[in-house]
Amino acid sequence: MIAYLCAIGIVALIYCLLALGLNLQFGLTRLVNFGVVAFFAVGAYTSGLLALQGVPLVLCFVAAGVLAGVLALPIGLLSLRLRDDYLAIVTLGFSEAVRISIQQESWLTKGVQGLPGLPKLFASWGSGVSDMAIFATLLALVALVAWGTVRLAASPFGRLLKAIGDDEAALSALGKDPAWFKVQVFMLGAVLAGADGGVLRPLHHLHHARAVHPAHHLLCVDGAGDGGLGHGAWRGVWFAAADGVSGGLTLCQRLGAGRV
Amino acid sequence: MTWIDFLNLLINGLIEGLVVALPALVMTLVMGVNRFPNAATGDMMTTGAYAAVAVQLLGGWPLWAAALGSMVVTAMVSAGSYQLIFRKLAGRPMVASMLAAIGLGFLLRSLISFFAGHDQRTFDLPLVRAWNFGGIRVLPTDLAIAAVAAVSLMVVFVLIYRTSFGRQLRAVSDSADLARASGIRAGGLMLSLWLLVGALSSLGGVLLGMKAVVSPEMGWESLIPAFAAMVLGGIGSPVGAVLGALLLCVAQELAVPLMGPSYKLVLSFVVLALVLLVRPAGIMGRVQLVR
Repeated sequence: MIAYLCAIGIVALIYCLLALGLNLQFGLTRLVNFGVVAFFAVGAYTSGLLALQGVPLVLCFVAAGVLAGVLALPIGLLSLRLRDDYLAIVTLGFSEAVRISIQQESWLTKGVQGLPGLPKLFASWGSGVSDMAIFATLLALVALVAWGTVRLAASPFGRLLKAIGDDEAALSALGKDPAWFKVQVFMLGAVLAGADGGVLRPLHHLHHARAVHPAHHLLCVDGAGDGGLGHGAWRGVWFAAADGVSGGLTLCQRLGAGRV
Repeated sequence: MTWIDFLNLLINGLIEGLVVALPALVMTLVMGVNRFPNAATGDMMTTGAYAAVAVQLLGGWPLWAAALGSMVVTAMVSAGSYQLIFRKLAGRPMVASMLAAIGLGFLLRSLISFFAGHDQRTFDLPLVRAWNFGGIRVLPTDLAIAAVAAVSLMVVFVLIYRTSFGRQLRAVSDSADLARASGIRAGGLMLSLWLLVGALSSLGGVLLGMKAVVSPEMGWESLIPAFAAMVLGGIGSPVGAVLGALLLCVAQELAVPLMGPSYKLVLSFVVLALVLLVRPAGIMGRVQLVR
C-alpha cells in the first residue's frame, strides 16, 4: 500500500512541477502554451539517453533543462508575433511535431518502445526505500520551486510579467518592452518542464513516446489555467498541487490498466 | 523522380486535399463565427467514422446509407456540444473554449476506444483494381472519395454564398454586434451552423476512413494538417480553407520521397509556423484577425 501511494505521489509531484512552470507562463503572463509536453519529452529523452551513457544523474537533469530551454527560444520568439489563439495552435502543433519526431527517430529513441534499462535514483538503497527517497526529494523540489515562483511573482520581474498579462499596451506606454520578458518566461517554463521530464526518467516504465501524449498533460494545463487566472501566486501553487494529484491518479489508473 | 511518379503523387495529394478541406472548412467556419480554434474537429471526424462503421456492422446498411446515418448522428453530437459547452463559454477568453474543445476531443476519443477498442477497423468496400493509364494509377475508390468531397464542398459553398442562412452567417462573422442590431437571431443560426459543422466533420471522417483505416487516433492526427490548411488559406475564408488544404496536401505528397510518410505532420507544422510568421493573413484572409 505504501509503495502504491508512493508511486502515485511521485507521478503527482511530477505533474505539479509541470503545472508550476505553466502557471508562470499562462497564469502570470497569459502566454498560452500547449507545447509544454514537447519540452517535457525533450527533457525526458535527453536525460534518459545521457544516463544510459553513464553520465551522473544530476548532470542529466541539468542537461535536460538546458536543452529544453534552448529549444523554447524559437517558439518564444514566435510568441512575440502572434495573438494568443494562434500561439495556442502553433504550440499544439509543435508538441505533436516533437512527438512524431521522437517516435520516428528510432535509431536514437527506440521509437514507441521507449528506453529500457535506465538507472534509477537511489537504487542502492533497495526498491522500497529508494521510492520513498525519490518521493521525498521530489517533494522538497516541488516545495522549493513553488516557493521560488511565489517569490518570483512578488519580485519586480514577476510584477512585470503580471503587467504583460494584464495590459501589454499600458506596459509599453510606460516604456517597458514586453518582448524580451515574454521570451524569458517562455524559456524559464521550458527549462522547468525539461528538468521535470528529466526527473520522470527514473520511472522507466513511463518512459516512452506514449507517455508524452499531449492529452495527458492537458490535465495540467487545466489546473494551471484555473489557478492562474486568479492571479494569486499561492493560489496557482495550490491548484497546481491539487491538479498534480488528480493527474497522477489518472495516470496510475491507466498504468494499472496497462495502457498509458 | 520521373514525371509519372510526380503525377501519381500530385493526384494523390489533390484527393487527400479534398478530404482535408472538409475539416479545414469546419474550423474556418467556427473560427470566423465563434472565434476559437475548434480542436474537437478531428475527434468529431473520428466519431463520424466510427458511427458509420457501427451502423454498417450492426445494421448491415450499405456504405452510403451508413455515411448518411452517421452524418445525422454526428450533427446531433456537434449541436449538443455547442448547446452544452461552447454556448456557455461564448463571452469568456478564447483559451477557455479551445481548452474545452480539446477536452471534448479527449472525451470522444476515450469513449470511442473504451467501447470500440484500439484495433483498426475498415469499411466494407468492394475490392477494385486501380486503373492504369501508362503508369499513372488511379483507384476508382479514390475517385469516388474525391467526387463526394468536391460535391459536398460545393453544397456548403452554395449554402454559404447563396442562401439566407449563409448571408446571416457571414454577417455574424463580419461583426456580431452589427448582425444583432440588424435583427439576426444568433441562437437558431448557431445551432444550424453546428449541425452543418458536425455533418461535414462526419463526412470527412468517413472519407478519411475509406482512404486509409478507421482508428481512434485518426481524427486527432489530421487536426494539425487541417489547422495548417486553415491558416494557409487565411482564417475565416471558406475558399481559402479549400485552397490551403489542396496546396498543403500536394506539398506533403511531393515531399514524401524526400522525407518519408511519417513526417507529413511535421511538414504541416512547419508550413503553419512559416505562414504565420511570413504572411499571417494566409492566401485570402484578413490580417487583423491574427495579431
